[in-house]
Formats: sequence, structure tokens, C-alpha cells
Amino acid sequence: MTAPALTLPPVALYIHIPWCLKKCPYCDFNSHANDRTLPEAAYIEKLIADLEQDLPYLQGRKFTSIFIGGGTPSLFSPAGIEKLLTAVENLAGFASDIEITLEANPGTFELEKFSAFRSAGINRLSIGIQSFQQSFLEKLGRAHSDKEALTAAENALSAGFENFNLDLMFGLPGQSIEEALKDLEMAIACNPPHLSWYQLTIEPNTLFYSKPPSLPNDDLVSGIQEAGIDLLSSHGLDRYEVSAFCGPDQESRHNLNYWLFGDYLGIGAGAHGKITLPEENLILRTQKVRQPDNYLQQENPVAEVAKVQTSELPLEFMMNVLRLSKGCDQVLFGERTGLALQSIEPVLASLRDKNLLRNDRLQATSKGFLFLDTVLTEFTKFMPGDNHTLERIEVNSR
Amino acid sequence: MSNLDNIRNFSIIAHIDHGKSTMADRFIQLCGGLADREMQEQVLDSLDIERERGITIKAQSVTLDYKADNGQTYQLNFIDTPGHVDFTYEVSRSLAACEGALLVVDAAQGVEAQSVANCYTAIDQGLEVIPVLNKMDLPQAEPDKVKQEIEEIIGISATDAVLASAKSGEGIREILERIIRDVPPPVGNTEADLQALIIDSWFDNYLGVISLVRVREGVLRKGDKIITKSTGKVHVVDNVGIFTPKRVVSTEIKAGEVGFVEANIKEIKGAPVGDTITHASTSKVASLPGFKKVQAQVYAGMFPVFSDDFDNFRDALEKLTLNDAALIYEPENSDALGVGFRCGFLGLLHMEIVQERLEREYDLDLITSAPTVVYEILTIKGEVLKVESPSRLPPTTNIEEMREPIVEANILVPQEHVGNVLSLCVEKRGVQLDMQFVGQQVSIKYELPMSEVVLDFFDRLKSVSRGYASLDYHFTRFQTANLVRLDVLINGDTVDALALIVHRDQANSKGRVLTEKMEELIPRQLYDVAIQAAIGGQIIARTTVKALRKNVTAKCYGGDITRKKKLLEKQKAGKKRMKQVGNVEVPQEAFLAILKVDS
Repeated sequence: MTAPALTLPPVALYIHIPWCLKKCPYCDFNSHANDRTLPEAAYIEKLIADLEQDLPYLQGRKFTSIFIGGGTPSLFSPAGIEKLLTAVENLAGFASDIEITLEANPGTFELEKFSAFRSAGINRLSIGIQSFQQSFLEKLGRAHSDKEALTAAENALSAGFENFNLDLMFGLPGQSIEEALKDLEMAIACNPPHLSWYQLTIEPNTLFYSKPPSLPNDDLVSGIQEAGIDLLSSHGLDRYEVSAFCGPDQESRHNLNYWLFGDYLGIGAGAHGKITLPEENLILRTQKVRQPDNYLQQENPVAEVAKVQTSELPLEFMMNVLRLSKGCDQVLFGERTGLALQSIEPVLASLRDKNLLRNDRLQATSKGFLFLDTVLTEFTKFMPGDNHTLERIEVNSR
Repeated sequence: MSNLDNIRNFSIIAHIDHGKSTMADRFIQLCGGLADREMQEQVLDSLDIERERGITIKAQSVTLDYKADNGQTYQLNFIDTPGHVDFTYEVSRSLAACEGALLVVDAAQGVEAQSVANCYTAIDQGLEVIPVLNKMDLPQAEPDKVKQEIEEIIGISATDAVLASAKSGEGIREILERIIRDVPPPVGNTEADLQALIIDSWFDNYLGVISLVRVREGVLRKGDKIITKSTGKVHVVDNVGIFTPKRVVSTEIKAGEVGFVEANIKEIKGAPVGDTITHASTSKVASLPGFKKVQAQVYAGMFPVFSDDFDNFRDALEKLTLNDAALIYEPENSDALGVGFRCGFLGLLHMEIVQERLEREYDLDLITSAPTVVYEILTIKGEVLKVESPSRLPPTTNIEEMREPIVEANILVPQEHVGNVLSLCVEKRGVQLDMQFVGQQVSIKYELPMSEVVLDFFDRLKSVSRGYASLDYHFTRFQTANLVRLDVLINGDTVDALALIVHRDQANSKGRVLTEKMEELIPRQLYDVAIQAAIGGQIIARTTVKALRKNVTAKCYGGDITRKKKLLEKQKAGKKRMKQVGNVEVPQEAFLAILKVDS
């Protein structure tokens, strides 16, 4: 008999801190404006209890990366973060080369705390610059200034963060190609090892959704993106994922794990997790209680644990790996989904025929990469309602 | 109730929006057919589409017990009828089951052309017509002028028309009293051999065919062995009953009455509309005169988006034609759209409704090709062909003469809009036959090419008259015309489902506007899409849908993939009602772009 096909992938930890100074008009994350004192200590206690409850999902694994996101996690004190990380390490253990990222805003208040975060065990910062130009920062409703944006990278370096990421947006209201490229040039001048450069999209349940700003048209946005990719590449920042760029071996390990359909636990208000249980031939998605107050008060913070249906696995897998410009090896599909690649072959073949997918790997061609959503839509064919059958790989009977 | 004298069968003739369904609701309320808590608006419009669009498509019946002022109780059988120009045929069926009809006219808007035509049908069928002026609660109601219109345009006396308001309830009781007084009771003999006319039939997955019948002679009972005259097959009656409007099972329906029959008839064509039901033992009894076969006026191809659905599509069409006799279909093979059916419809609304019913009631995704009327072709060999699909037009070298169908259109319009309506008729190649001023309205008679009338004429007429003009039309003859086939090419390939037959003089402008319209309607794809219009191989217009430069959203937030998944599912749902033509995805709207071309 063949060995179980579903194998235990690496596991990461996502920690959600749901508060911000103010809510940005484009943001549809689970973040809440807060001007009172944050219930930091109580929340950290709750996070630790939350993790304890999820420990069985680790199945003996140690965390390869941790990402503390939000909201604005840099609003928490370095001491609190240190306490949290110590508890996590004691409970679960860290891989020797663990990457621990904290999301930070470039406001003055946070900049002063950077070195303390470094001492607390954070070894990577992700800084939400969004733009280096005051007029666009104002349009985006950001709380920081262009000056603070510029100092942020310097401060990260001087605080000992060799590894950091800058978050930038393009396709901003009224933005020209030149203005978009200027932001990139200013970012490049900061010598970031990693850059996330993503397009502003209008999401439901945001201020921009109810009062839409006037955005550049599709052709202009495409022009910005093409020029930007070239510019970054000429400065050694290669596009390894749809909106992620980095120098050699500087990929975000945490995000790479998502994109390779690895496992992650999610703790904190509204956090999502994904867990593989090879012995039960199952993949679970978990979600925690969303409202911060409820999360703090409820004894059990779990809002939902759901089996990923077999029919949804091809789409979920492809949605992630095909975002990587190098995609993945074909073997990974069976290992991470427990499905035979053969069962999605007709879709793969039709995509290859249209020159959207490579023959040798699960990797979009350069054309497929431009039209990734078109490519991914093909994998919704396996969703309930369509009559396609998916074969599970033979599982060893125990 | 054993006495035929206490039965009245009637229907309502009214234009859309003149308040027929609301009036029916009032009758039901007054007679206690439904408890107040069961009343929902327009209870008789049972199809979802009917309620949503506020129109009646199918005939429905309801039996009410009414205690009249004279102290006697009457059985009132009300047969509801559709009001749109496309559904005249359904109206004549409903009228065949009645001895009387209410002509309901909006007291503010006046007589509309459709009601005029239906009223003539009722008079032809020997029905007693009672005029009712509805919406008397409106401040702009002008009963005297509207009465004058009824008398002059339709030619029946309106001096004692009932003044009513279905909304406020005014005059409702008076209407019922007038029905008792003026509509003759049905004639028939319960002792005679059974003759029951099938007014409507529909298919129920559990019960088989259910038929609405008007019993002319004899009695139809539960347990009877019956046959339909057309099939001769014997079935046992499982149930008979009436709608109040709730379905109420009874033991029998007798001569003069209207009710339903269920006899576990599983074959769809087992009880066709217009057929006669009798007992197996009296199979020799004469058939009642059925209904005039109705002529389809508009043809279009219908194709399943997913070719796997073809068998389901055929079954669905079969079931639908059971109670939509006007719908006809035969298999059609399109190079562009695959295997489907060429369907004939009464008009564009009928086409839309058939497509909607097929999609909703039978869960199909369909693409409809450009609609067309039927043309007559005289070949050089002297044969006369009927062509209902541009792609079936013989080669031009074999054509001696092409003829297009001409209709006579009757339009009623308030005087202030008459100028606009006349220019519209001229634009549509019309020839004026007659024009008369009646009351506040002008009655206009025009000859128009049917192709111009069935496409967007009705919508245009409404818009140039601020909604006030009304239209009725009927086919009169074929007439020689200078016609050409306009082909549409997508990326160099002729798409048969997009071809049109147009007048030579309009060909260039139609080609240009059509390609422009299609450029708007075809979404940008991974490559440039060229759209060309051609006549006899010569390109007369061209547009290009520029290629999309990218289709990918920037950031996928690792943890929560649900939102992104929903987005992709939405993109996929958008692909329904798109058909792959070559390697181009063409949405339904593009096939119907011709409807949006004003030449």
C-alpha cells in the first residue's frame, strides 16, 4: 500500500492585534479605532490561552515563523510582546532559524520603540509606509507624515533590523505613473530587503466603498505596475509573488508558507488558521471570535472550525501557489491536498493549451501571471454545484 | 349549488397597470376566498416572474361564493387573463371559458389599444362586456372623457359603466352585482355526455399534468375513466376541484363550472390546451371547437451555455410548451453556439419570459441569439420559402425576390404626443392608413414592417409618448423589399448566431452602430477582439475590443482566503450567460445588441 499522501507541512503562527489609532478609509481588516488605554495585559493573557487550546494541532511541530499583524501591533509595549513571545516559545518551541515579524506604523510614537522590539525577540519589521508623499498619505487617511515615513527605514536599521519590509500602495486616487514611481524610488533609496507593493482596491465595508474616490483607470494602473516591476528589478528587487519583491534569499518566510499551502495557527480576534491532519486525511480552517471585546470575554475564543471540502481544495491550493512567480513542484499538490493531480488534469491541460500554465511545474506562464484571476477562476469548476469528481489519493489503512 | 342560474363565468380585460390584479384581490377579499392574513398582493400571479414584473402571463382561475343583494348565493368563476400585447392568445383562451367580461379602463389614462383588441375578441366570442372605470380615486380621473373614448373607439355603450377604485374598494360590490345582473348564466346539461374544454395545462412532477377545464356538458367526477380526444388514452381521475384561490378538492365539477382535473397523466402532451375531455365510455362525443393555432412572430435560437445541459433543455421546453402553446421549437445547430433550438415566440417579451422561466424553473443557463421575424423568399426556380433564421437564407444568386412581413398597427396616444409617434412611425418605414381624434386621444393606424415593430418599437413608442401610447398589431401580408443579410465577424470568423436580415438602405448604419454597441458589450479579454460587420463578404464596419492588460488582484492576505475565494466565485458567476465563440467569450447582451440599435 502507498503511504498516506497528505503529509504534515511546516507550521507558522499568526497573531492578530485588532486595534489601531484610527481606521483607514480603505481598510477592511478586523481593526478597530481605539483611543482609550488598550487592554494589553488581558489580551496577551487571552492570546496565550488561545494558543494553549490550539496546541494539539501542532502535532509535534515547532513554529518556523511568527507574524504579529493587525491592526497596529506596534501600539503594544515591547515588554508585552516579549512576554507573549516567551510564552509561545515555552508552549510550542521555535525552529532554530525562526522568523518573527511585527507590523509597525511609521508614527513617531512607534519609531522610538523599534530597538526595544528588537530586544523583545522580534527579528523582522513590516512597516506600513503606503506612500512617501504627504498628499497621498492624506488621501489614504494615514496617521503618519512623509517625514516619518522616511525616518522609519533608518530607524529600523539603526534598531538592528537588518530584515524589514516596506508596504507600499499604488493606483492611489489621482496618481500618475510618475508619482507612483517616485514612491518606489524613495523606497529603493531605503535599501529594503523586502517590499510589498500592492494595488489599492476598494473593498466592501470601508469608507472608500461608500464614498468611492476617483481611481486611475485600468490601463493606467497596468502601466504603473509594468513600469514599477521593471524599476524594482533593475535595483535587484525581484518579483517573487504577485505583489512581493525582494533581494536574493530575502523572501518573507511567513508569507511563503501561506503561498506554499503550509499550515498556520491563528490566534487573536478574528484570526484564521489552517491545519492539516494527515491521520484523518483532513484539512481544517479555524477562525476565532472577531469582535475584540467578545474575544476577551468569551471563555472559548473559537468561532468556527470547518473541514475544507475536497471540492474546494484545488482552488485553495492554486490560489496560493500560483501567486508565486516560480509556482511549485507538481509533487506538492498531492502532499498538501491529498488529491491526485490527475483528477484536475483536464483543467491544467486547457490552461496549458492557452499558454497560461507551464508544462513542467504548477507555475503560471508570464501571460498566466498577468491574468492570474482568469486562471484561478478555472479551478472554481470543482466547487459544489459543478459535477466534477476529485480522486483522493489512496490512503494506507491502519 | 345545483342551479346553473347561480353560476357566472367571467374574466377581466385590462391593460397592464390598469389595476386588474388588484381588482381580483378585492373580489377574493369581498367573497372571503382568503383570510386577511393570507392575502398577499396579486395572489393570482403565481409565477415569480409575474409578481416581480407586475404582469400576468398565465391564465388562472378562482371560484368565489358571492352572497348577492337579492339574498341568493352565486358561484363566480373568475378567469384571470394576461394584459400584454404578446399574450393575446392566452386571452382568447380564457375568454372561451366565460359568458362575460369586465373591460377595466384606467379612468385617468383612458382606453389602450390592447384592451380594444381584446374587447373585440370578447365581443366576437359572444361575451357580455361590462365597462368599468378603475382608479376613480385619482385626482386626474376623467370619467366622462374616458366613457366617450370607450364608446367611440370600441363602440360599446359606456353610459352605465361602473365607477370603481380597486385601491380604495369603491364600486367593487357594484361590479359583482352587475356581473350577476348582466352576464348570462352558462348553459349546459348535467345529464348529457361529458364535454370539458382544456383551458390550460401545466406539469407537476408529483401529480403529472394538471388541467384547468371548463365543463360544457355533463359531470366530471373523481374516479371517472376519461380520455382526451386527441390522444384517446384512458386515465382515471384522481382529483377534481376548484381554486378559491387555494386548491380545494371536491367530488365533481359540472356543466357550466370551471375547475381542475388531475388524472396522473405523465406524458407531457397528454392533455393539450384546447383539447376536449370526455368519458372513456362516450369517446364518440364531438370535440369542442379548440383554439386558433397561434403564429409565432419572432424567432431566435436558444442554446445551453453548457452543452451537457442539452437534454435537460429539451425536457424543459417540452414541459413549458404544455401550457405555453404559442412557444414552438425545433433543433438548431449553430457553428458558433453548438446544438440548441430555434424557438418561435409571440414577441420579445414572450421571448424574455420563456428564457427567464427556463432559467429559473429548470435551472438552465441559456444564450439567446439575435431575434428575427419570418421572411418569405422567392427563389429563381419559383419556389416560395419561409426563412426564420438569417443563416438559412439561400445564396443570393438563388434568390429572385425577398419579402418582409407587414403588420397593421393600431396606436392610441394622447394628442400632445402624436407628433413624436408619427415621426417614429416614419422612421420605422411606416405608411399611414388612418388617423382619428377621439376624446383626449388620437387613434392612428399604420402599416409597418414587422421587423421594425417587434424589436424595439414598443419601447421607443413608450418613451416618445412618456409612457402613454399603446399599441396593438397584427400581421397582414408579405411585401417585396430590398433586403440584405448583415453578417457579423468576430476575430475574422462569421458568427452565424449574430447574422441579421436588414433593409439595404439601413444596412450601413445598422452595421456601424451594431459593431459599436458590441464593442461596449463584449468584455475585454486576454487578446484584442475584432468585431466586423459585412454584407456579401464586404466589410462595412469594424471595431476592436482592446485586450485587457492584467487581471489579478494585488494582495492576497495569507490567513483569510475567504474573501478572495468569494471574488473568484463572483467572476465565475459572471461567466454564466457567456458563450465561448472561438476563443472569445461573448455575453448574452452582445447577441441581443441589435435590440439596442436605433437606426
